[in-house]
Amino acid sequence: MIVIQNARLRSFLRILTLLLIPSVAVLGYFLLRGTGYVVTSVTVASLSVVLFLCGFDRRKTGSRRLVLVSVMIALSVLGRFFPLLKPVTAVAVITGVYLGMEAGFLTGAFSALISNFYYGQGPWTPFQMFAWGILAFLAGALARPLQKSRTLLCLYGALSGILYSLIMDIWSAVFASGGFSLPIYLAKVVTALPHTVLYAVSNVIFLFLMAKPFGEKLTRIKRKYGV
Amino acid sequence: MKSLERSHPTVTLLYFLAVTLPVMLCMEPLLLCISLAGALALLFSRTGGRNIRTLLYFLALLLLIALVNPLFQHDGVTVLFFLNGNPVTWEAIAFGLCAGAMTLAVLCWFLSMSQMMTTDKYLCVFGALSPKLSLMLSMALRFVPLFTKRMHAVRLAQRGLGLYRDGTLPDKLRGELRVFSVTVTWALENGIHTADSMEARGYGTGRRTAYAEYDFHAWDGALLALILLMLALTLCGLLTDAVAVTFYPALVRAERGVLAALTYAAYTLLSFLPTLLTVQEKIKWHFLQSKI
Repeated sequence: MIVIQNARLRSFLRILTLLLIPSVAVLGYFLLRGTGYVVTSVTVASLSVVLFLCGFDRRKTGSRRLVLVSVMIALSVLGRFFPLLKPVTAVAVITGVYLGMEAGFLTGAFSALISNFYYGQGPWTPFQMFAWGILAFLAGALARPLQKSRTLLCLYGALSGILYSLIMDIWSAVFASGGFSLPIYLAKVVTALPHTVLYAVSNVIFLFLMAKPFGEKLTRIKRKYGV
Repeated sequence: MKSLERSHPTVTLLYFLAVTLPVMLCMEPLLLCISLAGALALLFSRTGGRNIRTLLYFLALLLLIALVNPLFQHDGVTVLFFLNGNPVTWEAIAFGLCAGAMTLAVLCWFLSMSQMMTTDKYLCVFGALSPKLSLMLSMALRFVPLFTKRMHAVRLAQRGLGLYRDGTLPDKLRGELRVFSVTVTWALENGIHTADSMEARGYGTGRRTAYAEYDFHAWDGALLALILLMLALTLCGLLTDAVAVTFYPALVRAERGVLAALTYAAYTLLSFLPTLLTVQEKIKWHFLQSKI
């Protein structure tokens, strides 16, 4: 395993990624004249995930925090094995709310990555990583109101179920037709409607049931060990 | 000579990215056929007929994509018939078929990739980018089977205590949630213990070393060079429009020339490379066996 130890080189890579995202999008649009939508969209999605992860690596993270986040990742991966109703988003959102935005993003993104080792990796992995990651990240940004009111949290859960579906529909529209057009996207959104409802409902159910016990456990661990 | 599966993980991963890139860039029918044939040959040479059911599912997906496109896309000059006053054109059907074939080819390639690239190989490749994240990834990967086992133990204990009855659905759900809750409490505490133990053994005090099973040999370098060369030749043909196709308004494929022939040849070699290596290895094994 080669490890990039040079901090300057790592920060260079980080800036490079930041510049690469818009340039890949623009280049893909002009150079490939619309035929390379799939490649462009997959590249942009993976680079966005990399950008978030780079930001995480710069911070000094205590090992306790590090292990706690991997515990949450493993728990949410286990959640994906549940039949029909999946608590993955709920676990990632709870992590975001109680352990911070970055922990949320990591939990969301990595649970997509790891569970796809069981369900099959593919070009859709970066999209799933981004979708789950960003939803948990936003939950972390709204931590204060979401911690206070369970109604708001459930509302956020329903909203994130819908948003997750909308983000993934972009991928399926691009992949199914090799290009992006609004009618095909809308058709995908409509055909995915049962899934969207299922996501939203399972998020609400799991957040309603798990928010309080999970929150108590995490707060207790934070207070007991000073994470 | 080693098969692709036993080469360095970076080579394996780059191969699958290289072989799927051209078909994602260009939906040229012949290119798609080559890709699909290569992907199927690899699947069958490695696992025989074990993936038939998955393939049938993929095939259904292809047909669905091919059928849906003409319903939304009415461009094209060759109108076959009208459906609810909307023209259904040959071009839209051809586009749908090609898009479906692309999906099918990519799915087949990634099916092989999932079988070849195990988690330790991903860690070997991406560990270079961030030691901290790859540590987290490997810990989470280890926790999944650990927690499954622990959950089973908790379930047995609850059943032994008579708390867990799986009679009615709400009862079952409540029991399952209690098991999950117990596991979570244990997992969090256990995580803290793991972290403390790591720190006590000096985690974070110096450079982390890692056990890597994979060495980059001369053969890996040669294979990588061959893959990149074939990819470059293919991309040359694609970006100079020697191999190109436009669907609307009419189906037009680029004129065949020397460059087009070269592109097809390079992509054919790229697509069938892992199959050749696998078959070569099997033949060698066969002869080695009979000598003993």
